[in-house]
Amino acid sequence: MIQFDSVSKIYPFGNAALDSVSFAVERGEFVFLVGTSGAGKTTILKLILGELYPTSGSVLVEDVDISGKRFKKLETLRRHIGVIFQDFKVLPDKNVFENIALGLRILDMPFSKIKTEVREALALVGLHDKEQFFPVQLSAGELQRVAIARAMTGDRHIILADEPTGNLDPKTTWDIMKIFKKVEKHKTIIFATHNTDVVNTLKKRVITMKGGKLIKDNAKGGYDL
Amino acid sequence: MNELITSLRRTPYQSLAMFFSLFLTLFLSLLLMFSLTFLYGLLSYVEARPQVTIYFQNETSESSILEVKKELEQSGKVTSVKYVSKNEAYALYRDLNKDNPLLLEMVSAEILPASLEIFASRPSYLPELAAYLEKVPGKDEVNYQKNVVEKLLALTAVVRTGSLAFFGFLMFTTTIILITITHFKVALRKDEIELQRLMGAKASYVRRPFMREALFLGFLSSTIVFAKFSLLIYVAYPYIQSYLRGVQSLSIDLAQYKLVVWPFSIEYVGMLYLILTLFGICIAAFATLFATKKYIAIQRS
Repeated sequence: MIQFDSVSKIYPFGNAALDSVSFAVERGEFVFLVGTSGAGKTTILKLILGELYPTSGSVLVEDVDISGKRFKKLETLRRHIGVIFQDFKVLPDKNVFENIALGLRILDMPFSKIKTEVREALALVGLHDKEQFFPVQLSAGELQRVAIARAMTGDRHIILADEPTGNLDPKTTWDIMKIFKKVEKHKTIIFATHNTDVVNTLKKRVITMKGGKLIKDNAKGGYDL
Repeated sequence: MNELITSLRRTPYQSLAMFFSLFLTLFLSLLLMFSLTFLYGLLSYVEARPQVTIYFQNETSESSILEVKKELEQSGKVTSVKYVSKNEAYALYRDLNKDNPLLLEMVSAEILPASLEIFASRPSYLPELAAYLEKVPGKDEVNYQKNVVEKLLALTAVVRTGSLAFFGFLMFTTTIILITITHFKVALRKDEIELQRLMGAKASYVRRPFMREALFLGFLSSTIVFAKFSLLIYVAYPYIQSYLRGVQSLSIDLAQYKLVVWPFSIEYVGMLYLILTLFGICIAAFATLFATKKYIAIQRS
Protein backbone atom coordinates (compact mmCIF):
# COMPACT_ATOMS: atom_id res chain seq x y z
CA MET A 1 0.00 0.00 0.00
CA ILE A 2 1.08 3.56 -0.74
CA GLN A 3 -0.12 6.29 1.58
CA PHE A 4 0.37 10.05 1.50
CA ASP A 5 -0.64 11.81 4.68
CA SER A 6 -0.77 15.63 4.49
CA VAL A 7 2.34 15.68 2.35
CA SER A 8 3.83 19.02 1.40
CA LYS A 9 6.96 19.54 -0.59
CA ILE A 10 8.64 22.87 -0.84
CA TYR A 11 11.72 23.01 -3.04
CA PRO A 12 14.66 25.25 -2.16
CA PHE A 13 13.95 28.94 -2.85
CA GLY A 14 10.36 28.44 -1.69
CA ASN A 15 8.77 26.81 -4.71
CA ALA A 16 5.88 24.73 -3.30
CA ALA A 17 5.35 21.58 -5.40
CA LEU A 18 2.82 19.83 -3.14
CA ASP A 19 0.47 21.28 -0.59
CA SER A 20 -0.91 18.95 2.05
CA VAL A 21 -1.71 16.06 -0.26
CA SER A 22 -3.35 12.95 1.20
CA PHE A 23 -4.40 9.76 -0.56
CA ALA A 24 -3.89 6.03 -0.38
CA VAL A 25 -3.39 3.46 -3.13
CA GLU A 26 -4.20 -0.14 -2.34
CA ARG A 27 -2.13 -3.08 -3.51
CA GLY A 28 -3.09 -4.09 -7.09
CA GLU A 29 -4.82 -0.79 -7.81
CA PHE A 30 -4.47 1.16 -11.09
CA VAL A 31 -4.50 4.91 -10.55
CA PHE A 32 -4.24 7.71 -13.08
CA LEU A 33 -2.51 10.82 -11.84
CA VAL A 34 -3.60 13.74 -13.97
CA GLY A 35 -2.96 17.44 -14.01
CA THR A 36 -1.32 20.17 -16.02
CA SER A 37 2.44 20.60 -16.12
CA GLY A 38 3.72 21.69 -12.72
CA ALA A 39 0.67 20.29 -10.92
CA GLY A 40 2.87 17.99 -8.79
CA LYS A 41 2.49 14.61 -10.53
CA THR A 42 6.21 13.97 -10.95
CA THR A 43 6.88 15.16 -7.41
CA ILE A 44 4.44 12.51 -6.12
CA LEU A 45 6.24 9.81 -8.13
CA LYS A 46 9.63 11.01 -6.93
CA LEU A 47 8.44 10.96 -3.33
CA ILE A 48 7.26 7.35 -3.72
CA LEU A 49 10.59 6.42 -5.25
CA GLY A 50 12.49 8.17 -2.47
CA GLU A 51 14.25 10.61 -4.76
CA LEU A 52 12.69 13.37 -2.70
CA TYR A 53 11.64 13.56 0.91
CA PRO A 54 8.59 15.54 2.05
CA THR A 55 8.95 18.90 3.74
CA SER A 56 6.06 17.89 6.01
CA GLY A 57 3.65 14.97 6.30
CA SER A 58 4.46 11.32 5.77
CA VAL A 59 4.86 8.95 2.85
CA LEU A 60 4.34 5.24 3.42
CA VAL A 61 5.35 2.73 0.77
CA GLU A 62 4.70 -0.98 1.43
CA ASP A 63 3.76 0.13 4.94
CA VAL A 64 7.22 1.60 5.52
CA ASP A 65 7.56 5.26 6.36
CA ILE A 66 10.15 6.66 3.98
CA SER A 67 9.66 10.32 4.88
CA GLY A 68 12.90 10.76 6.82
CA LYS A 69 15.76 12.43 4.99
CA ARG A 70 18.13 9.76 6.23
CA PHE A 71 15.94 6.75 5.39
CA LYS A 72 18.46 3.93 5.01
CA LYS A 73 16.67 1.19 3.12
CA LEU A 74 15.97 2.97 -0.14
CA GLU A 75 17.76 0.33 -2.20
CA THR A 76 15.62 -2.45 -0.77
CA LEU A 77 12.46 -0.40 -1.36
CA ARG A 78 13.41 0.49 -4.92
CA ARG A 79 13.86 -3.16 -5.79
CA HIS A 80 10.07 -3.44 -5.54
CA ILE A 81 9.39 -0.44 -7.75
CA GLY A 82 9.54 -0.28 -11.53
CA VAL A 83 9.79 3.13 -13.17
CA ILE A 84 8.82 4.10 -16.71
CA PHE A 85 9.82 7.48 -18.04
CA GLN A 86 8.50 9.65 -20.84
CA ASP A 87 11.98 9.70 -22.43
CA PHE A 88 12.33 5.91 -22.01
CA LYS A 89 15.83 6.03 -20.47
CA VAL A 90 16.93 3.06 -22.53
CA LEU A 91 20.73 2.82 -22.58
CA PRO A 92 22.01 3.31 -26.14
CA ASP A 93 25.11 1.14 -25.81
CA LYS A 94 23.21 -1.91 -24.58
CA ASN A 95 20.96 -4.12 -26.62
CA VAL A 96 17.33 -4.89 -25.76
CA PHE A 97 18.23 -7.94 -23.70
CA GLU A 98 20.91 -6.10 -21.71
CA ASN A 99 18.63 -3.13 -21.08
CA ILE A 100 15.91 -5.34 -19.65
CA ALA A 101 18.41 -7.44 -17.71
CA LEU A 102 19.73 -4.32 -15.97
CA GLY A 103 17.18 -4.50 -13.19
CA LEU A 104 17.83 -8.19 -12.64
CA ARG A 105 21.61 -8.00 -12.67
CA ILE A 106 21.59 -5.65 -9.70
CA LEU A 107 19.96 -8.48 -7.72
CA ASP A 108 22.99 -10.67 -8.52
CA MET A 109 20.65 -13.20 -10.07
CA PRO A 110 22.16 -16.18 -11.94
CA PHE A 111 22.33 -15.65 -15.69
CA SER A 112 20.04 -18.59 -16.51
CA LYS A 113 17.30 -17.02 -14.38
CA ILE A 114 17.91 -13.59 -15.89
CA LYS A 115 17.55 -15.10 -19.36
CA THR A 116 14.22 -16.72 -18.47
CA GLU A 117 12.81 -13.56 -16.89
CA VAL A 118 13.96 -11.29 -19.71
CA ARG A 119 12.40 -13.58 -22.31
CA GLU A 120 9.12 -13.64 -20.40
CA ALA A 121 9.15 -9.84 -20.25
CA LEU A 122 9.97 -9.62 -23.97
CA ALA A 123 7.06 -11.91 -24.76
CA LEU A 124 4.80 -9.74 -22.61
CA VAL A 125 5.68 -6.58 -24.53
CA GLY A 126 5.86 -8.32 -27.91
CA LEU A 127 9.55 -7.85 -28.58
CA HIS A 128 10.68 -11.46 -28.39
CA ASP A 129 12.25 -11.23 -31.88
CA LYS A 130 14.25 -8.08 -31.09
CA GLU A 131 16.34 -9.32 -28.19
CA GLN A 132 19.67 -8.43 -29.81
CA PHE A 133 18.57 -5.12 -31.32
CA PHE A 134 20.15 -1.89 -30.15
CA PRO A 135 18.01 1.16 -29.26
CA VAL A 136 19.03 2.97 -32.42
CA GLN A 137 17.32 0.21 -34.41
CA LEU A 138 14.01 0.58 -32.55
CA SER A 139 11.01 2.88 -32.94
CA ALA A 140 9.77 5.10 -30.09
CA GLY A 141 6.97 2.65 -29.29
CA GLU A 142 9.43 -0.23 -29.16
CA LEU A 143 11.75 1.73 -26.93
CA GLN A 144 8.90 2.37 -24.53
CA ARG A 145 8.08 -1.34 -24.55
CA VAL A 146 11.69 -2.08 -23.61
CA ALA A 147 11.35 0.38 -20.73
CA ILE A 148 8.10 -1.27 -19.64
CA ALA A 149 9.64 -4.74 -19.83
CA ARG A 150 12.54 -3.50 -17.71
CA ALA A 151 10.17 -2.06 -15.12
CA MET A 152 8.17 -5.29 -14.91
CA THR A 153 11.03 -7.73 -14.29
CA GLY A 154 12.11 -8.92 -10.88
CA ASP A 155 9.92 -8.59 -7.88
CA ARG A 156 8.65 -5.14 -8.85
CA HIS A 157 5.01 -4.94 -7.86
CA ILE A 158 4.70 -1.14 -7.87
CA ILE A 159 4.92 0.49 -11.29
CA LEU A 160 5.38 4.23 -11.53
CA ALA A 161 4.79 5.52 -15.04
CA ASP A 162 5.69 9.16 -15.64
CA GLU A 163 3.82 10.16 -18.80
CA PRO A 164 4.93 7.03 -20.63
CA THR A 165 2.83 7.78 -23.71
CA GLY A 166 3.77 11.44 -23.86
CA ASN A 167 6.06 10.96 -26.86
CA LEU A 168 3.97 8.39 -28.69
CA ASP A 169 1.38 8.53 -31.47
CA PRO A 170 -2.23 7.43 -30.68
CA LYS A 171 -1.91 3.92 -32.12
CA THR A 172 1.35 3.20 -30.28
CA THR A 173 -0.18 4.70 -27.14
CA TRP A 174 -2.99 2.13 -27.27
CA ASP A 175 -0.49 -0.68 -27.88
CA ILE A 176 1.33 0.40 -24.76
CA MET A 177 -1.91 0.67 -22.78
CA LYS A 178 -2.73 -2.92 -23.72
CA ILE A 179 0.47 -4.03 -22.02
CA PHE A 180 -0.55 -2.17 -18.87
CA LYS A 181 -3.98 -3.83 -19.04
CA LYS A 182 -2.29 -7.24 -19.17
CA VAL A 183 -0.34 -6.73 -15.97
CA GLU A 184 -2.67 -4.55 -13.93
CA LYS A 185 -4.03 -7.44 -11.86
CA HIS A 186 -0.60 -8.27 -10.44
CA LYS A 187 0.82 -4.80 -9.97
CA THR A 188 0.06 -1.52 -8.28
CA ILE A 189 0.23 1.05 -11.06
CA ILE A 190 0.42 4.81 -10.72
CA PHE A 191 0.19 6.32 -14.16
CA ALA A 192 0.86 10.04 -14.55
CA THR A 193 -0.50 11.33 -17.82
CA HIS A 194 -1.95 14.21 -19.84
CA ASN A 195 -3.69 11.86 -22.25
CA THR A 196 -7.42 12.58 -22.03
CA ASP A 197 -8.45 9.68 -24.30
CA VAL A 198 -6.59 7.08 -22.32
CA VAL A 199 -7.96 8.29 -18.98
CA ASN A 200 -11.53 8.64 -20.22
CA THR A 201 -11.56 5.27 -21.98
CA LEU A 202 -10.09 3.09 -19.27
CA LYS A 203 -12.40 4.30 -16.47
CA LYS A 204 -9.94 3.80 -13.63
CA ARG A 205 -9.45 5.74 -10.45
CA VAL A 206 -8.24 9.27 -11.25
CA ILE A 207 -6.40 11.57 -8.87
CA THR A 208 -6.46 15.11 -10.23
CA MET A 209 -3.77 17.57 -9.20
CA LYS A 210 -3.70 21.33 -9.67
CA GLY A 211 -1.03 23.73 -8.43
CA GLY A 212 0.33 21.14 -5.98
CA LYS A 213 -3.08 20.38 -4.50
CA LEU A 214 -5.18 17.27 -4.86
CA ILE A 215 -8.44 18.60 -6.19
CA LYS A 216 -10.28 15.39 -7.12
CA ASP A 217 -10.04 11.71 -6.36
CA ASN A 218 -12.69 9.76 -8.33
CA ALA A 219 -12.93 5.97 -8.24
CA LYS A 220 -14.01 5.72 -11.89
CA GLY A 221 -13.37 9.18 -13.08
CA GLY A 222 -12.33 10.85 -16.25
CA TYR A 223 -9.96 13.59 -17.30
CA ASP A 224 -11.72 16.62 -15.99
CA LEU A 225 -9.60 19.74 -16.01
CA MET B 1 36.28 -11.25 -17.42
CA ASN B 2 33.93 -10.29 -20.26
CA GLU B 3 32.56 -7.41 -18.20
CA LEU B 4 36.10 -6.25 -17.50
CA ILE B 5 37.01 -6.29 -21.19
CA THR B 6 33.78 -4.45 -22.06
CA SER B 7 34.53 -1.87 -19.40
CA LEU B 8 38.08 -1.34 -20.73
CA ARG B 9 36.88 -1.14 -24.34
CA ARG B 10 34.15 1.31 -23.46
CA THR B 11 36.64 3.92 -22.19
CA PRO B 12 39.96 2.94 -23.79
CA TYR B 13 41.71 6.30 -23.49
CA GLN B 14 40.81 6.73 -19.85
CA SER B 15 41.96 3.19 -19.11
CA LEU B 16 45.22 3.83 -20.97
CA ALA B 17 45.76 7.09 -19.08
CA MET B 18 45.14 5.26 -15.80
CA PHE B 19 47.58 2.52 -16.80
CA PHE B 20 50.35 4.94 -17.74
CA SER B 21 49.92 7.03 -14.58
CA LEU B 22 50.21 3.88 -12.53
CA PHE B 23 53.12 2.66 -14.64
CA LEU B 24 55.14 5.82 -14.11
CA THR B 25 54.41 5.99 -10.38
CA LEU B 26 55.17 2.34 -9.80
CA PHE B 27 58.36 2.46 -11.86
CA LEU B 28 59.70 5.40 -9.85
CA SER B 29 58.56 3.79 -6.61
CA LEU B 30 60.35 0.58 -7.47
CA LEU B 31 63.48 2.53 -8.35
CA LEU B 32 63.34 4.30 -4.97
CA MET B 33 62.66 1.09 -3.11
CA PHE B 34 65.50 -0.67 -4.88
CA SER B 35 67.97 2.18 -4.27
CA LEU B 36 67.03 2.49 -0.63
CA THR B 37 67.30 -1.20 0.15
CA PHE B 38 70.64 -1.34 -1.63
CA LEU B 39 71.90 1.70 0.21
CA TYR B 40 70.82 0.26 3.55
CA GLY B 41 72.51 -3.01 2.62
CA LEU B 42 75.68 -1.09 1.82
CA LEU B 43 75.46 0.80 5.10
CA SER B 44 75.10 -2.43 7.07
CA TYR B 45 78.02 -3.83 5.15
CA VAL B 46 80.28 -0.89 5.94
CA GLU B 47 79.14 -0.79 9.56
CA ALA B 48 80.04 -4.44 9.91
CA ARG B 49 83.56 -3.81 8.63
CA PRO B 50 86.38 -3.18 11.12
CA GLN B 51 86.04 0.36 12.31
CA VAL B 52 89.78 0.85 12.88
CA THR B 53 92.47 -1.17 11.22
CA ILE B 54 96.13 -0.94 12.10
CA TYR B 55 98.71 -2.25 9.67
CA PHE B 56 102.14 -3.14 11.04
CA GLN B 57 105.56 -2.79 9.51
CA ASN B 58 107.09 -5.97 8.11
CA GLU B 59 109.69 -6.26 10.86
CA THR B 60 107.14 -6.06 13.70
CA SER B 61 107.00 -9.40 15.47
CA GLU B 62 103.80 -11.34 15.93
CA SER B 63 104.28 -11.29 19.73
CA SER B 64 104.36 -7.46 19.75
CA ILE B 65 101.18 -7.38 17.70
CA LEU B 66 99.45 -9.85 20.01
CA GLU B 67 100.57 -7.72 22.94
CA VAL B 68 98.80 -4.69 21.40
CA LYS B 69 95.74 -6.89 20.80
CA LYS B 70 95.71 -7.93 24.46
CA GLU B 71 95.98 -4.32 25.65
CA LEU B 72 93.12 -3.28 23.41
CA GLU B 73 90.91 -6.12 24.67
CA GLN B 74 91.64 -5.14 28.26
CA SER B 75 90.76 -1.47 27.63
CA GLY B 76 87.01 -2.26 27.67
CA LYS B 77 86.52 -0.01 24.67
CA VAL B 78 86.38 -2.66 22.00
CA THR B 79 83.91 -5.43 21.26
CA SER B 80 86.44 -7.48 19.33
CA VAL B 81 89.92 -7.38 17.91
CA LYS B 82 90.88 -9.65 15.05
CA TYR B 83 94.48 -10.46 14.21
CA VAL B 84 95.11 -10.95 10.48
CA SER B 85 98.54 -12.45 9.89
CA LYS B 86 100.60 -11.95 6.71
CA ASN B 87 99.56 -15.39 5.46
CA GLU B 88 95.88 -14.75 6.17
CA ALA B 89 96.12 -11.37 4.41
CA TYR B 90 97.71 -13.12 1.42
CA ALA B 91 94.94 -15.75 1.38
CA LEU B 92 92.33 -12.97 1.38
CA TYR B 93 94.18 -11.15 -1.38
CA ARG B 94 94.32 -14.31 -3.51
CA ASP B 95 90.63 -14.89 -3.00
CA LEU B 96 89.70 -11.32 -3.98
CA ASN B 97 91.90 -11.37 -7.08
CA LYS B 98 91.46 -14.95 -8.15
CA ASP B 99 90.35 -13.81 -11.62
CA ASN B 100 93.42 -11.65 -12.18
CA PRO B 101 96.60 -13.79 -12.47
CA LEU B 102 98.76 -10.73 -13.13
CA LEU B 103 97.93 -9.24 -9.73
CA LEU B 104 98.51 -12.60 -8.08
CA GLU B 105 101.97 -12.92 -9.62
CA MET B 106 103.05 -9.50 -8.42
CA VAL B 107 102.29 -10.06 -4.75
CA SER B 108 103.62 -12.51 -2.18
CA ALA B 109 102.80 -13.03 1.51
CA GLU B 110 105.97 -11.17 2.46
CA ILE B 111 104.91 -7.79 1.15
CA LEU B 112 101.47 -7.84 2.73
CA PRO B 113 101.33 -6.38 6.25
CA ALA B 114 99.89 -8.09 9.30
CA SER B 115 97.03 -6.14 10.82
CA LEU B 116 94.55 -5.83 13.68
CA GLU B 117 90.87 -5.22 12.85
CA ILE B 118 89.25 -3.44 15.74
CA PHE B 119 85.51 -3.00 16.42
CA ALA B 120 84.83 -0.27 18.98
CA SER B 121 82.07 -0.88 21.53
CA ARG B 122 80.90 2.74 20.98
CA PRO B 123 81.52 5.06 18.02
CA SER B 124 82.67 7.71 20.50
CA TYR B 125 85.68 5.55 21.41
CA LEU B 126 86.92 5.56 17.85
CA PRO B 127 89.04 8.77 17.98
CA GLU B 128 90.61 7.68 21.26
CA LEU B 129 91.45 4.23 19.91
CA ALA B 130 92.84 5.70 16.70
CA ALA B 131 95.02 8.11 18.70
CA TYR B 132 96.33 5.24 20.83
CA LEU B 133 97.11 3.13 17.75
CA GLU B 134 98.98 5.96 16.10
CA LYS B 135 101.52 5.76 18.94
CA VAL B 136 101.98 1.98 18.86
CA PRO B 137 105.58 1.01 18.03
CA GLY B 138 105.93 -0.79 14.70
CA LYS B 139 102.73 0.61 13.22
CA ASP B 140 102.74 1.29 9.51
CA GLU B 141 99.31 2.80 8.96
CA VAL B 142 96.04 3.32 10.83
CA ASN B 143 92.83 3.18 8.83
CA TYR B 144 90.03 4.95 10.55
CA GLN B 145 86.59 4.33 8.91
CA LYS B 146 84.52 6.74 10.94
CA ASN B 147 84.23 9.20 8.06
CA VAL B 148 83.10 6.57 5.61
CA VAL B 149 80.31 5.37 7.92
CA GLU B 150 79.29 8.91 8.74
CA LYS B 151 79.19 9.90 5.07
CA LEU B 152 77.17 6.83 4.19
CA LEU B 153 74.81 7.47 7.12
CA ALA B 154 74.33 11.04 5.98
CA LEU B 155 73.79 9.94 2.40
CA THR B 156 71.26 7.29 3.49
CA ALA B 157 69.39 9.85 5.59
CA VAL B 158 69.27 12.31 2.69
CA VAL B 159 68.16 9.65 0.23
CA ARG B 160 65.55 8.35 2.68
CA THR B 161 64.12 11.81 3.37
CA GLY B 162 64.28 12.77 -0.29
CA SER B 163 62.66 9.50 -1.31
CA LEU B 164 59.87 9.86 1.23
CA ALA B 165 59.14 13.41 0.12
CA PHE B 166 59.24 12.45 -3.54
CA PHE B 167 57.17 9.34 -2.86
CA GLY B 168 54.56 11.42 -1.04
CA PHE B 169 54.40 13.90 -3.90
CA LEU B 170 54.16 11.04 -6.39
CA MET B 171 51.37 9.40 -4.40
CA PHE B 172 49.41 12.63 -4.15
CA THR B 173 49.78 13.49 -7.83
CA THR B 174 48.90 10.00 -9.00
CA THR B 175 45.89 9.80 -6.71
CA ILE B 176 44.59 13.12 -8.06
CA ILE B 177 45.15 11.98 -11.65
CA LEU B 178 43.43 8.64 -11.03
CA ILE B 179 40.50 10.33 -9.28
CA THR B 180 40.09 12.69 -12.23
CA ILE B 181 40.22 9.85 -14.75
CA THR B 182 37.71 7.81 -12.76
CA HIS B 183 35.45 10.87 -12.53
CA PHE B 184 35.46 10.97 -16.31
CA LYS B 185 34.62 7.29 -16.52
CA VAL B 186 31.79 7.63 -14.01
CA ALA B 187 30.45 10.71 -15.81
CA LEU B 188 30.39 8.78 -19.09
CA ARG B 189 28.18 6.17 -17.46
CA LYS B 190 26.09 8.66 -15.52
CA ASP B 191 22.79 7.62 -17.12
CA GLU B 192 23.38 3.95 -16.46
CA ILE B 193 24.41 4.60 -12.87
CA GLU B 194 21.38 6.81 -12.29
CA LEU B 195 19.12 4.11 -13.68
CA GLN B 196 20.77 1.40 -11.61
CA ARG B 197 20.32 3.46 -8.46
CA LEU B 198 16.66 4.10 -9.29
CA MET B 199 16.17 0.37 -9.68
CA GLY B 200 17.66 -0.35 -6.28
CA ALA B 201 21.29 -1.15 -7.03
CA LYS B 202 23.54 -0.96 -4.00
CA ALA B 203 26.50 1.41 -4.10
CA SER B 204 28.86 -1.57 -4.01
CA TYR B 205 27.20 -3.03 -7.11
CA VAL B 206 27.51 0.23 -9.04
CA ARG B 207 31.10 0.63 -7.91
CA ARG B 208 32.06 -2.95 -8.77
CA PRO B 209 33.05 -2.52 -12.46
CA PHE B 210 35.17 0.52 -11.66
CA MET B 211 36.86 -1.28 -8.81
CA ARG B 212 37.41 -4.40 -10.87
CA GLU B 213 39.05 -2.36 -13.59
CA ALA B 214 41.18 -0.44 -11.08
CA LEU B 215 42.38 -3.64 -9.42
CA PHE B 216 43.17 -5.16 -12.79
CA LEU B 217 45.08 -2.09 -13.98
CA GLY B 218 46.92 -1.87 -10.63
CA PHE B 219 48.00 -5.49 -10.95
CA LEU B 220 48.83 -5.26 -14.65
CA SER B 221 50.88 -2.09 -14.36
CA SER B 222 52.85 -3.34 -11.35
CA THR B 223 53.60 -6.63 -13.10
CA ILE B 224 54.73 -4.90 -16.29
CA VAL B 225 56.82 -2.40 -14.30
CA PHE B 226 58.46 -5.26 -12.47
CA ALA B 227 59.19 -7.12 -15.71
CA LYS B 228 60.68 -3.99 -17.32
CA PHE B 229 62.74 -3.21 -14.23
CA SER B 230 64.03 -6.79 -14.06
CA LEU B 231 65.12 -6.47 -17.66
CA LEU B 232 66.99 -3.25 -16.87
CA ILE B 233 68.69 -4.87 -13.90
CA TYR B 234 69.60 -7.85 -16.07
CA VAL B 235 71.31 -5.50 -18.53
CA ALA B 236 73.03 -3.57 -15.72
CA TYR B 237 73.98 -6.72 -13.77
CA PRO B 238 77.61 -6.94 -14.99
CA TYR B 239 78.17 -3.30 -14.02
CA ILE B 240 76.68 -3.77 -10.55
CA GLN B 241 78.74 -6.92 -10.14
CA SER B 242 81.93 -5.16 -11.10
CA TYR B 243 81.12 -2.21 -8.79
CA LEU B 244 80.49 -4.52 -5.86
CA ARG B 245 83.50 -6.70 -6.56
CA GLY B 246 84.80 -8.11 -3.30
CA VAL B 247 81.51 -7.64 -1.50
CA GLN B 248 80.33 -11.10 -0.59
CA SER B 249 76.78 -10.09 0.26
CA LEU B 250 74.62 -7.13 1.24
CA SER B 251 71.73 -7.56 3.61
CA ILE B 252 69.27 -5.54 5.62
CA ASP B 253 67.73 -6.39 8.97
CA LEU B 254 63.95 -6.60 8.96
CA ALA B 255 62.96 -7.13 12.61
CA GLN B 256 64.25 -10.66 13.25
CA TYR B 257 64.83 -11.46 9.61
CA LYS B 258 67.99 -10.80 7.63
CA LEU B 259 67.07 -10.09 4.02
CA VAL B 260 69.86 -10.62 1.51
CA VAL B 261 69.70 -7.96 -1.18
CA TRP B 262 72.94 -8.84 -2.96
CA PRO B 263 73.39 -11.21 -4.67
CA PHE B 264 69.67 -10.95 -5.48
CA SER B 265 67.79 -13.47 -3.38
CA ILE B 266 64.39 -14.95 -4.22
CA GLU B 267 63.05 -13.44 -0.98
CA TYR B 268 64.24 -9.95 -1.92
CA VAL B 269 62.89 -10.09 -5.46
CA GLY B 270 59.60 -11.59 -4.20
CA MET B 271 59.29 -8.90 -1.54
CA LEU B 272 59.86 -6.13 -4.09
CA TYR B 273 57.21 -7.59 -6.40
CA LEU B 274 54.74 -8.12 -3.57
CA ILE B 275 55.13 -4.58 -2.20
CA LEU B 276 54.92 -3.10 -5.70
CA THR B 277 51.77 -5.07 -6.58
CA LEU B 278 50.11 -4.24 -3.28
CA PHE B 279 50.98 -0.60 -3.74
CA GLY B 280 49.65 -0.56 -7.31
CA ILE B 281 46.41 -2.23 -6.31
CA CYS B 282 45.93 -0.08 -3.20
CA ILE B 283 46.50 3.25 -4.91
CA ALA B 284 44.19 2.34 -7.81
CA ALA B 285 41.51 1.03 -5.45
CA PHE B 286 41.72 4.04 -3.13
CA ALA B 287 41.45 6.56 -5.98
CA THR B 288 38.50 4.68 -7.48
CA LEU B 289 36.73 4.40 -4.14
CA PHE B 290 37.17 8.09 -3.55
CA ALA B 291 36.07 9.09 -7.06
CA THR B 292 32.99 6.89 -7.15
CA LYS B 293 31.80 7.87 -3.69
CA LYS B 294 30.60 11.29 -4.81
CA TYR B 295 28.61 10.17 -7.85
CA ILE B 296 27.19 6.95 -6.53
CA ALA B 297 25.64 8.15 -3.30
CA ILE B 298 21.85 8.58 -3.34
CA GLN B 299 21.22 12.25 -2.77
CA ARG B 300 17.67 12.99 -1.64
CA SER B 301 16.57 16.56 -1.89
